[in-house]
Amino acid sequence: MIRVENIYKRFGDLVVLNGVSFEVPKGTTTVILGRSGIGKSVLLKCIVRLIEPDDGKIFIEGKNISELSLKELNDLRKDIGFLFQSAALYDSMSVRENLAFPLVRHTDLSDSEIEERVKETLRLVGLSEAIDKMPSELSGGMRKRIGLARSLILHPKIMLYDEPTTGLDPVTSKEIAKLIIDMQNKFKMTNIVVTHDMVVALSTADRILLLDNGNFIFDGTPDELIKSEIDMAKKFLSTSLD
Amino acid sequence: MKFVENIKYFFSVIGGLTDFTIRFFLEVFRPPYEISEIRKHMDELGVKTFSIVSVTGFIIGLVLGMQSQPVLARFGAEMFLPGMIALSVIRELGPALTALIFAGRVGSGIGAELGSMRVTEQIDAMEVSAVDPFRFLVVTRVIATTLMLPLLTIYVDFIAILGGYVAVIITQNMTFPYYIQLILDAIRFSDLIPGISKTFVFGFVVGIVGSYLGFNASKGTEGVGKASTTSVVISSLLILLIDSVLVRLTLIIFPD
Ligand SMILES: Nc1ncnc2c1ncn2[C@@H]1O[C@H](COP(=O)(O)OP(=O)(O)OP(=O)(O)O)[C@@H](O)[C@H]1O
Ligand SMILES: [Mg+2]
Repeated sequence: MIRVENIYKRFGDLVVLNGVSFEVPKGTTTVILGRSGIGKSVLLKCIVRLIEPDDGKIFIEGKNISELSLKELNDLRKDIGFLFQSAALYDSMSVRENLAFPLVRHTDLSDSEIEERVKETLRLVGLSEAIDKMPSELSGGMRKRIGLARSLILHPKIMLYDEPTTGLDPVTSKEIAKLIIDMQNKFKMTNIVVTHDMVVALSTADRILLLDNGNFIFDGTPDELIKSEIDMAKKFLSTSLD
Repeated sequence: MKFVENIKYFFSVIGGLTDFTIRFFLEVFRPPYEISEIRKHMDELGVKTFSIVSVTGFIIGLVLGMQSQPVLARFGAEMFLPGMIALSVIRELGPALTALIFAGRVGSGIGAELGSMRVTEQIDAMEVSAVDPFRFLVVTRVIATTLMLPLLTIYVDFIAILGGYVAVIITQNMTFPYYIQLILDAIRFSDLIPGISKTFVFGFVVGIVGSYLGFNASKGTEGVGKASTTSVVISSLLILLIDSVLVRLTLIIFPD
């Protein structure tokens, strides 16, 4: 379970998060919508303590993450998968090495078990043939999917997706959405999905939050979003309709 | 004024470097040691600098020999030429020039590499996957540069002495064994130690400066370029500054 309490974050004069609170119950998916530059990535990064909020508390599995020692924080991070908006693949490593990296460091698996797990995870994202490629040889969409595979490889309990389908074609986007749901069913993960993609949002979400000007202006189920009279919600929905 | 700003920036970097250095020494003796990563970096550094230091080393020895020959000849002291070449190379030219080339090639490389890892969130990704990027990226690189520069310097010393021999035989008849004999007669043990030991310090400087600036690169491709070029400027400056202090110190510890 993830609980965010009253998070404030500003960069200089720019107030990005202005007292944001929400809770993601275990095994459910919360989607965060919001315009570009509104602070969605910043919010996700606060949750893994890549960015320190100015004020507020974040609890993961009941632990206040700002009170953890580095060792405790790292133990917690092993249970969290984070898909970066930019995929953030390690440039100097091949796809195989990128995926093996967390396994080599955090498991006792043998070389052949690691190879097996790498291949299995690549199959999951439909990119088995890319195993020997370098990140620079991949298209944007392929990078995204490799990044997804890397963040899933330790079978985390919590997955944070930062725009998992941006830059992908509609067919692949749907597959990714399906993958998010499959992984959810299979591993009972707790998910936060940041996205602009209404197909992903409506199909994966148990609950949708709409971030604007530092706070949530909508909080409800996908059905409630569709019926919502809030202007921004309508604008987001219209992108999926036309 | 630009100049004042540069001075301010230089001192802010020195401050940051001090923190980084302390952190390095806190981390370096703790396992796991990432030996394979260190070896990989050392290989890369060797490959990257081998040809340029070979050429430079040879030419330095050659030019030094050709320049000094007529001077010594004027005093009828041509027999001292081999010793003089070797002493200049081992005590100063070898270490300083190799370090400066190293700063240019390797310092800029580390700055750019870590800078682009910072800018493209690879360092963040590593942190989130519970691997300490400082240990994995910085400590391994600094160890590699610290160990590699002394090795390269010893190699450059040899090559430069070889270049010096070519200068000698242009004007004199001298066999190579005799040339080496004259050198061995001229140098003392106390000539070797300071020249080599200071290259550990220079290697450390190149590694830590490049890592620090890369690690703290600001967003955008501009940040990567800046990390790379600033690494060269700052590590070269520090090498020259530290060198002048160490030369003085050496003369106090090993008086002639
Ligand atoms: N490290 C930082 N320093 C200064 N400002 C920052 C930093 N990180 C983010 N910002 C600013 O915070 C705001 C929110 O950024 P964020 O990346 O969270 O947006 P986003 O909602 O994820 O947008 P997008 O959908 O385009 O990814 C932006 O205005 C950005 O410029
Ligand atoms: Mg974002």
